[in-house]
Amino acid sequence: MSFWRTLFKRTNDHPLDEKTHTNLENIISNAYVDPYLGADLVSAHAINSLSREGEQLKVSISLNYPAATIQKDIIEILEPALSQLEAFESVAIDIQSNIPAHMGQRAEASRIKNIIAISSGKGGVGKSTTTVNLALALAAEGASVGILDADLYGPSQPHLLGIPEGTRPQTRDMRHYAPLNAHGLKLMSMGLMVNEDTPMMWRGPVASETIQQLINQTLWGDMDYLLIDMPPGTGDIHITLAQTLAIAGAVVVTTPQDISLLDAQKGISMFNSVDVPVLGVIENMASHICTHCGHSEAVFGQHGGEKMARENHSELLGSLPLQRQIREQADAGLPIVLAEPDGEIAKLYKEIALRIAVNVAQPGLITPLPKITFVDD
Amino acid sequence: MQHSQANLSAHANKRIGRDKIPVEIKYHRRSRILELIYPKQNTLELSSEYLRVHSPSAEVQGHSPEQAVLQYGKQNVSITDIIMQGSYAIKLSFDDKHDTGIYTWQYLWELAENKNSYWQSYLQALAAACKSRI
Repeated sequence: MSFWRTLFKRTNDHPLDEKTHTNLENIISNAYVDPYLGADLVSAHAINSLSREGEQLKVSISLNYPAATIQKDIIEILEPALSQLEAFESVAIDIQSNIPAHMGQRAEASRIKNIIAISSGKGGVGKSTTTVNLALALAAEGASVGILDADLYGPSQPHLLGIPEGTRPQTRDMRHYAPLNAHGLKLMSMGLMVNEDTPMMWRGPVASETIQQLINQTLWGDMDYLLIDMPPGTGDIHITLAQTLAIAGAVVVTTPQDISLLDAQKGISMFNSVDVPVLGVIENMASHICTHCGHSEAVFGQHGGEKMARENHSELLGSLPLQRQIREQADAGLPIVLAEPDGEIAKLYKEIALRIAVNVAQPGLITPLPKITFVDD
Repeated sequence: MQHSQANLSAHANKRIGRDKIPVEIKYHRRSRILELIYPKQNTLELSSEYLRVHSPSAEVQGHSPEQAVLQYGKQNVSITDIIMQGSYAIKLSFDDKHDTGIYTWQYLWELAENKNSYWQSYLQALAAACKSRI
């Protein structure tokens, strides 16, 4: 987009004099602080340009995370603030999301901008449900998103996304497969390759080989985010993924109870040892809200996720309640972000998803990979 | 676009320092030397033999120090391939078919930092075991 914009840039845009420019920057930075960037748009370097076209003031804003919802907020706040200026008759605010890419991918995955692993040490803490809802939340905010279901032994993404049993990915050459499209997400899963009740009875090396095939033989295409729904534990599949892909960051899902935190901590240590930054911790099933009386009870204890995040110099991205609807809608193949997009829970997921997007866009997070050459001397 | 500095360093905390990740890795075939160029312009050179005999592979190191297998006769070994492992390491393949060593940035740095002492201990271990580099 920006390429065409530059190519066909209309010439009747005029830059502003320095005084007006500074004045406008002051108004913008005083009027609005971005909740995700944690800063105003000027100091977050999100202002692309300020210019005059005839009697109109043109403000071009570029955010590094998908921001369909927050765009409206920004315009609602900035427009009246800037309209007070007498030098212009009207204000036009243009907001674009330019999601930066994490470099260093090989081959098939090279067009995926950011690969994010959603992991937990323990099974059953809600990784898959969290993954699908976060992916849908990012997509709802305007990003192109995919899910790689890396749980070969117990793939649940096809079911969560309501894909009918027996659906197979399309292929022309029996070697490369097109990911399935479900609710605007691209999906690849072992569950799309075999029948629902076929157990994968594999030893480690076969599992490693298979996960590599799922990555490298899927025609992913261009994507802003690929979320990997990791299997529990720290085994073959995890190591293979860490070695095959340049993972931009990992998100650890845990319940607040000690027995889950113990394993989540192992997950964090694993990511540290393969130099994958931990983007944050999500506390799942943090409280149970009674469907009868609305009373909230911390079934699995309190502040466990927060404590772990702090101890690992990471952050708590959010806490999700244990709620029947989340489970019911997930089981029915219509995750809650889709089923109730304006509900409280969907808002929580969106909030967490955008925090992840902002964290992964930090320039210091991206490991520059060395150039490897052979010379004859 | 930039994020708050505090947050950034928090993430960097547990990870290896950026200055210990090479920006360029060059293998010199004739002299059999692996050249590691780091961001602050400092360059380290490690010979194929040194890297080969200190391979982090379980085939060399075992699963505990007592299980380590002394490598010998590797004076003329050469590197045939270098493959990136995620963003944390490289895997070196040698022409004696050894290709299971995954060298993390941290380990390469350690090998370079202790080059002289590690090399002396290796030579002593060879002599003690009546083995040779050839």
